[in-house]
Amino acid sequence: MSPILEIRGLSKQFGGVTALSGVDLAIEEGEILGVVGPNGSGKTTLFNVVTGVHKPSGGSVSFRGHDITGLAPHAISRAGIGYTFQQAMAFAGLCVLENVQIAGEHVRVNAGAGQPWSTPQALLDFVGLAALADERAGVLPFGSLRLLGLALALATQPALLLLDEPAAGLNDRETAALVGLVRQLPGHGITVCVIDHDMKLMQMLCRRLAVLDFGSKIADGPTGAVLADPKVLEVYLGGDL
Amino acid sequence: MIAGAQPNGPANAALRSLLPVLAVLVLIALVPLLSPSNRFLSLAISAGINVIALYGLSVLFGQTGILSMGHAALVGVGAYTAAILSRDYGIGFWLALPAAALASAVFAMIVGIPSLRVGGHHFVIMTFAFGQLLAIVLTNGGDYTGAATGLDLTGPVTLFGADMSDLTRYYLMVVAFVAAAAVASWAIINSPYGRTLRAIRENERLAASLGINVGRHKIGAFVVSGVFAGISGVLLAHFLGHISPTQFASFPSIYLALMVMIGGARLISGPLAGGILVAFLPEVLNLDPVQSRIVYGACLIAVILLLPEGLIAGAVQAFRRLLARKPKQEREDPDTTCTTPSEARR
Repeated sequence: MSPILEIRGLSKQFGGVTALSGVDLAIEEGEILGVVGPNGSGKTTLFNVVTGVHKPSGGSVSFRGHDITGLAPHAISRAGIGYTFQQAMAFAGLCVLENVQIAGEHVRVNAGAGQPWSTPQALLDFVGLAALADERAGVLPFGSLRLLGLALALATQPALLLLDEPAAGLNDRETAALVGLVRQLPGHGITVCVIDHDMKLMQMLCRRLAVLDFGSKIADGPTGAVLADPKVLEVYLGGDL
Repeated sequence: MIAGAQPNGPANAALRSLLPVLAVLVLIALVPLLSPSNRFLSLAISAGINVIALYGLSVLFGQTGILSMGHAALVGVGAYTAAILSRDYGIGFWLALPAAALASAVFAMIVGIPSLRVGGHHFVIMTFAFGQLLAIVLTNGGDYTGAATGLDLTGPVTLFGADMSDLTRYYLMVVAFVAAAAVASWAIINSPYGRTLRAIRENERLAASLGINVGRHKIGAFVVSGVFAGISGVLLAHFLGHISPTQFASFPSIYLALMVMIGGARLISGPLAGGILVAFLPEVLNLDPVQSRIVYGACLIAVILLLPEGLIAGAVQAFRRLLARKPKQEREDPDTTCTTPSEARR
């Protein structure tokens, strides 16, 4: 099976700083892939380049066989790639329902034919925010704001969903709820790629992990094997184990 | 499904925000029955013409969150388009309307382009400069723009053969235009397009991640505001019969921004309230121009500090709080809940 997203030799320099150097990564259709790495290893830069926030210095990204390198963020979203931000965000001054309505109004391709949420209300039901539909997003507790962020990305009917530290700031109960939701996504035709450095979360979510360090991929494979890789242990635990 | 459980659908709530405005306009249209003075009618016509421009500004500022201090310049483009078309081609009021709307929309688009790169205060200064620049261009335009003296308009405004130049008739026509502007602005606010603009106002980065072409819609909001300004300009030119560059320089633009802020940019009643208040305040309080400027300045500071959403929103909230205190029935805090769209209920 050909990968849904194929990243080839992707690099990004900010002035003299190399954030990504020649990263190759393929995301297979229907999987939940984890991208891990210490702070500053280039995880978020990888997302930002793929989603069009930054233009890459070199390399290419193709989605379902089409080259999407350097497209604007809105065009990436319309192509069928949804994404959430490290900082939980929503349209704070608008109510929850209106947030989700907006998110569903600019969909180009109907990528997710098997998705069970045909209306904004159904989507809010799915993420468990239906009771808060009339609240202003700005007054939501943090955990609900994270879920709303997920709902917004899902409302764009993505075929691929990129999640940047989706559980950051969540308590154990909220994290468990989030894991429960994300695990259902492949069943609805949504491939998922998660960035995080929380290994516990990654072990719960992902069967495959890719590890970044100083902008390069140093490991890629089944979660168990990657976590046993001496190179990875060195990066995470400072070697000598 | 939750939608069925709501006693008042969103459309219903939205309509409730428009009806008071239309009711007030009907009352305003009945004023000539009281045989008001010509001075009152003239003042009211000027206020109404401003209100039409304000409805455009409210789409830009209230919905999209972009403040323009160059809106009067767009009104000027409309007014000069009407005057030049009338002088050179003998084109009258009604044909000048679409032409001026188009011309102002094109200029609005040009003003809007820097907003793609510059934001916040920096952009406000650029729009301010645009207003000043237009005044300079018009002043140095030689015979074509009439230089500093400006241009005269001759030729009556007629509607179905009736001469509308009579003050009362022109007044009624302006009220009708204000009503049309209010309805148009209301339709924009309550459409998916209005939602898109609010999304850009709230968070551009998030909006882009959801497939919204932020740049295109920002320019679009400028174009919409330009159409309102152009129509307002034609009405102004044909009302005054004479236009000159200083009418459309930066200070009139600041007044327009002030009116929309005082009234409240996000509400359908805001532009109407702001336009009327600022026009009639000096009259009611019997202020000279210098005093009235001081009062406007004080009002603006007070509104920004105390009622950031404008007088009407502030009054409605105060009223709600009063209601909530008296009867013991539980009312939700108006600050934490909303319907769709969120601005409609206030």
